[in-house]
Amino acid sequence: VPEPVSESLKLLGFLDVENTPCARHSILYGSLGSVVAGFGHFLFTSRIRRSCDVGVGGFILVTLGCWFHCRYNYAKQRIQERIAREEIKKKILYEGTHLDPERKHNGSSSN
Amino acid sequence: MAHAAQVGLQDATSPIMEELITFHDHALMIIFLICFLVLYALFLTLTTKLTSTNISDAQEMETIWTILPAIILVLIALPSLRILYMTDEINDPSFTIKSIGHQWYWTYEYTDYGGLIFNSYMLPPLFLEPGDLRLLDVDNRVVLPVEAPVRMMITSQDVLHSWAVPTLGLKTDAIPGRLNQTTFTATRPGVYYGQCSEICGANHSFMPIVLELIPLKIFEMGPVFAL
Repeated sequence: VPEPVSESLKLLGFLDVENTPCARHSILYGSLGSVVAGFGHFLFTSRIRRSCDVGVGGFILVTLGCWFHCRYNYAKQRIQERIAREEIKKKILYEGTHLDPERKHNGSSSN
Repeated sequence: MAHAAQVGLQDATSPIMEELITFHDHALMIIFLICFLVLYALFLTLTTKLTSTNISDAQEMETIWTILPAIILVLIALPSLRILYMTDEINDPSFTIKSIGHQWYWTYEYTDYGGLIFNSYMLPPLFLEPGDLRLLDVDNRVVLPVEAPVRMMITSQDVLHSWAVPTLGLKTDAIPGRLNQTTFTATRPGVYYGQCSEICGANHSFMPIVLELIPLKIFEMGPVFAL
């Protein structure tokens, strides 16, 4: 029977930051962006309330931007890993036979 | 299988389930950000000292909070539809199995290469061996090959049932008088559990599904048919 995994940090009770790929990265950059945007706005305007609004907006935008960027790269990486896995399997299976892609390639290049 | 008190999805055993988990993460991040925004708005509402009740003529705000949710819905809908159509792709199954729901057990028919038909009953607690799983283990498992597309034809002999295996991302209703089809390709061997997912009477909770996925080479040697 699988044992329960140790409790992972869940933001607002449902976003598992530790086990969701790119979540921790996005939230951290979002927090940084929020602090930079909010504090920067305050330094220029000295308006507390508006700076908090800018901070929250910055958090949402930076988190979303990092999230999409990271997930896109993660998806690309998974596709490349799958292609590599398939090619390795094919190479092991067909090495030395007439179906070997390297043999076909070498044969055509020598011709 | 799920561990005790598990809330999240189980690890994926098929490419479709991997896509579903990815989509779930994507939707959850959007939901988190919306919840964060709403909590912030609530905090502001509860802590404001402003008492003006002039809430008319906010055209810009109304435009923003109409268009923005529409954009968010599109961001959620596009991946969702992509996966929906992916599940309907014809992937040339190499093996077909029929699954028939009864009150309260499943019948499986392997009719492609012979006429193997068997029933799958939940193991009663008194018959459990040490290490067996209560309410999940069955007397006869469904043995299938890994990395081969499999077609499941699902129906019922009496009332509505539903054939579900969460780790494969499968849930298909078993409807009397109707044949539903689902296909899957398992990516790793193992024993995977599911439970009937449509209320079907007193023992609805006691008709589990157990798949035993084995390497194709071993499956071809015919252990399934050596009963």
